[in-house]
Amino acid sequence: MQVSNMVVGQYYPGTSILHRVDPRTKIIAACAFVIVLFMVNGFEGLAVMGAGLAAVIALAGIPLPWLWRGLKPVLFLLVITLAFQMFLSGGEELWRLGPVPVYRNGLVQGAFLTARLLLLVLSGSILTFSTPPVLLTDALGRLMEPLAKLKIPAYELALMMTIALRFIPTLVMEVDRIIKAQKARGAVTSGGGLLVRARGIMPVLVPLFVMSFRHADELALAMESRCWRGGRGRTIRRKLAFSKKDAVFATAVLAVLAASLWIGRLQ
Amino acid sequence: MRLELENVSMVYQSGTPFSARALEDVSLTVEPGERLAVAGPVGSGKSTLLAILAGVETPTSGRVIHGTREISRRQTPPPGSIGLAFQSPENCLFEKTVYSDVSFAPRRQGLDGLEVRRRVENALAAVGMDPASMGQRSPFSLSIGEQRRVALAGVLAMEPRALLLDEPTAYLDPAARRDLIRQLVELNEQTGVTMVMVGHDMDELARFAGRLVIIDGGRKVAEGRAEIILTDSALLARHSLDPPGTVEFCSLLSAAMGDQVAPALSEEQTIETLMQIMEGKC
Ligand SMILES: Nc1ncnc2c1ncn2[C@@H]1O[C@H](COP(=O)(O)OP(=O)(O)O)[C@@H](O)[C@H]1O
Ligand SMILES: [Mg+2]
Repeated sequence: MQVSNMVVGQYYPGTSILHRVDPRTKIIAACAFVIVLFMVNGFEGLAVMGAGLAAVIALAGIPLPWLWRGLKPVLFLLVITLAFQMFLSGGEELWRLGPVPVYRNGLVQGAFLTARLLLLVLSGSILTFSTPPVLLTDALGRLMEPLAKLKIPAYELALMMTIALRFIPTLVMEVDRIIKAQKARGAVTSGGGLLVRARGIMPVLVPLFVMSFRHADELALAMESRCWRGGRGRTIRRKLAFSKKDAVFATAVLAVLAASLWIGRLQ
Repeated sequence: MRLELENVSMVYQSGTPFSARALEDVSLTVEPGERLAVAGPVGSGKSTLLAILAGVETPTSGRVIHGTREISRRQTPPPGSIGLAFQSPENCLFEKTVYSDVSFAPRRQGLDGLEVRRRVENALAAVGMDPASMGQRSPFSLSIGEQRRVALAGVLAMEPRALLLDEPTAYLDPAARRDLIRQLVELNEQTGVTMVMVGHDMDELARFAGRLVIIDGGRKVAEGRAEIILTDSALLARHSLDPPGTVEFCSLLSAAMGDQVAPALSEEQTIETLMQIMEGKC
C-alpha cells in the first residue's frame, strides 16, 4: 500500500469564480442538483444537466486527471450497474456477447442509471474539489444553525467534522510511517489467510490507536487551556457572506435545473 | 554492508498541486562499518534521505544500492538486513511485554527459541536495559526514554548489517542522550555494524560521527571527516547549524587571546589544549 501517494482531501486549489462563491451556495446548489437528478426522466434531461455540470467543471479549471482521480473509487460501481442491467434485465434480446444475451431494455436502463450515478458523483466531487475542507464544515455548521433551536448541537457537530478532517492527513502520514517501520521489522500487512492478516494488522493498529488517543488528549487540553466552552456565545472570525457572485451562480444553476426538469418532464 | 545513493531525487505527491521536492540529485556512499552522521536544518530532507537509503521509500529518480544489490519497489532489501528506526520509534511499540516486542522481528525471521532469547537479551543489554527486570513489563508503562530504548532494541534484535537512525535522541533528557550515543558507538566498535544517524545537535554528532554529511534544501552541501566539517563554523552557520560547544569555546578563546587556538571536538581535547596554553603562560 502506497499511502503517501494518496492525495489527502480532494481540494484543488484555484481562484475561479466557483472557488470564490460562498460554500453555502455551493452546498445548496449541489443538493438541488441531486434532487432534480432523481426527478428527471429520459436522456434529454440528463444531457442538459451534464452540460451544465461540464460548464461548471470548465469554469473551475479542474483538470481531467484530477476528475478521474475522484471517479476511480466508484468506477467499479458504475460498471456493475451497467452490467447487471444489460445482462440480467430480460425482455427483447438486442445481440449476443458470446453466449450471453444483451437486452435492449436493460442496455437503455443501464446506461440511464450509470449516467445518473456518474452525474451524482461528479456533482458531489465538484463541491469538494472547489472548497477547502475547513470552509465546507464551516458552511455546514452555519446551514445547520437552525437545528440548534431543536437542541441539536449543530456547532459541535460542525467542529467535530472540522477536527476529523484536520487529522486525516496527520493520521495518513503516521499510518504510512508505522507501516514502513513495522515492515522493516518483518511485519506482514498484506497476503496470507484471514487470521494471518488479522494478526499482521496488530503492529499497525495498536500504535495507531495509542497515537490517536494521545492526539485527542493533547487537543482537548489545548482547547481547554484556551477557554473553549462549546458553541454558546461564540463569534465567528471568518465571515461567510452572500454576494453578487452567489446570485449569478445560483441563477445559472436554477436555470439549468429548470430547463432539465422541463425537458425531462416532456418525456 | 556498503550503502549507495546515485543521483537520487525525491518529489512527494508529484503531479499534484501539493507536490513537494524533498531531495535533489543526492549521491552518497556509506562505507561498511563506518559511523556516518547526516545533519541539516528542519525540513531539509534528512528523514527522506534515510528512508530512501533504507529502501522503504522509493525515490522519484536515481539508484539505491545495498552491497551489490540494486533496490527498487519490486526488489526490496532482504528482511533483517537493514535496521531502521524512524523518528520517535517508541510510537511503534505494540506488544504486551517488552520481551515480546523486542523479540517480534527475530520471531518473524523464524529463528528458534534459544536464538531469539539470546538476541533479545543482547539487544536489551546493548541499549543498557536489564532483560530480567524489564522483560515482563508492559512497554506502555515505561518512560519515553525507556520506551525509546526498547524500540531501538527491537530493531537491534534483527542483527541488521546496517543501522539507520532518525534523530534517536530527540525528546530525551541530557543524561539519556549521552548514554544512548555512548551505547551506539560501543555497539559499532564491537560488532562493526554500519551506522547512519540523522541529527542536528552538533555536540552529539561530534561524539558519534566519523564522517558527516550536511544537507540543506534537499541538496548535499558538504561531506567530509567529522573533525573538518564540525570545526568549520562558517560552513555550519551558512546552514543554520551551531558548531559543537567545544569548537565554539576554542574560537572564543582564540578571539580573547588574539592567538590561534586549534579547535577541539571533545571535552578531553579541550582540556588538553587549555593545559598547554596555561603551561606556556607560566
Ligand atoms: N509524506 C510526505 N508527503 C509530502 N511531503 C513530505 C512528506 N514527507 C516529507 N515531506 C516534505 O519533504 C521535505 C523534507 O522533509 P523531511 O525529509 O522530513 O525533512 P527533515 O527530516 O530534514 O526535517 C519537507 O519539506 C517536508 O514537508
Ligand atoms: Mg526528520
